[in-house]
Amino acid sequence: MDRKELEAKVIELVAMSYNKDASELSVDTNMKEELGGASVIMVGLVSEIENELDVLVPLPVAAACKTIGELCDKVEEQM
Amino acid sequence: MSILDKLYEKAKQNPQRVAFPEATNEKMMQAAYETGKDGYIVPILVGDADEIKKLVAERGYDENVFKIVDINEEGYKAELIEKYVALPTSLLKEKALNRRMANPLYYAMVMQAVDEADVTFAGIDNTTGDVLLAGQMIIGMKPGIKTISSIGLCDIPGYEGSEGSLLAVGDSAVCTNPSAEELASIAISACDTVSTLLDWEPRCAMVCYSTLGSGQGELIDKVTEALKIANEQRPDLNIDGEFQLDAAIVPEVAAKKVKRESKVAGKANVVIWPDLNVGNVAVKLIQQFGHANAYGPMLQGFNKIVCDCSRGAPVSEIKGNVVISAVRAAGSKK
Repeated sequence: MDRKELEAKVIELVAMSYNKDASELSVDTNMKEELGGASVIMVGLVSEIENELDVLVPLPVAAACKTIGELCDKVEEQM
Repeated sequence: MSILDKLYEKAKQNPQRVAFPEATNEKMMQAAYETGKDGYIVPILVGDADEIKKLVAERGYDENVFKIVDINEEGYKAELIEKYVALPTSLLKEKALNRRMANPLYYAMVMQAVDEADVTFAGIDNTTGDVLLAGQMIIGMKPGIKTISSIGLCDIPGYEGSEGSLLAVGDSAVCTNPSAEELASIAISACDTVSTLLDWEPRCAMVCYSTLGSGQGELIDKVTEALKIANEQRPDLNIDGEFQLDAAIVPEVAAKKVKRESKVAGKANVVIWPDLNVGNVAVKLIQQFGHANAYGPMLQGFNKIVCDCSRGAPVSEIKGNVVISAVRAAGSKK
């Protein structure tokens, strides 16, 4: 999976977890400010990443990511 | 008879299956053994069966008191996975779940999720964060509840409240700075916790530094908004405010400050703090100056009972928390 495919997949998973339209999101989307949400949503997102990409990103690491791009970096590091 | 003695008796009437994923820990095994041997619970030790059996023998315990579940036994694991992934609420799919279940904490929670256990009891080796994450991932949260939180049960010598010397307070341990929605969830969960544990009819006060508009500001706005959400979400519960603490628990003060009908003012048995700064300080005040015994924290908001004990807890405290969790589990089945 190249970087572009990874970004598209992570955006799809973020959209699903936060109940957003993927077209509204990009790697620059600020997850805290623009998406907000309770920690349980982040738990769901981490689970989906684990299911779909077979990568285990620890919750505190995922929660510390400001943007979707940063989250992609963390996923890539674990691949 | 103390409240804890009463809860021990209650547990014995309907022993629940408690899964211990930190079974090899000496204190945890002792607490599981003693509560199991005396008939308060049915202890399930989850881990490497050979290692557990060796330690049980070395420590001189009767193995028949325990049910031992071997996380390396593929047949039972496959059965659990099949049942779990079929649940409508399951977050993890087979491959990810299989990997997670190498950890006894996740294994025990999967057992609980598919009704092979009633409680997961951990926290002596795992951090609170580990337990909360596993709980949210595997057990999930109750519908409509926005955050995991906790309450403590204070037994305060000399206090003569609406439940005698007892007062439930929350959240003093988990949710740092709850939003209005989260604060509403804490209040709702607290009412459900005291109903299942103590058979109380909850009278829940949301407290801050204002009584019905006597003060103003954003700190109060959050509490009044939370109250509105809680009342809309659960009109069946007696949740009221915003009250100062004295207006919440002292009838004479309530009579002066609360000039409207309230089923809660002056006789609250559950007090909800506006945030963790207040909660932490308040519990320590109750303990230091009120010489209270504080039981808990009891985690709430999960779909089923998950307990996280303190990593420094002595065996007596672990046993008390095991029994409290078991009574909650039995109560939540009603």
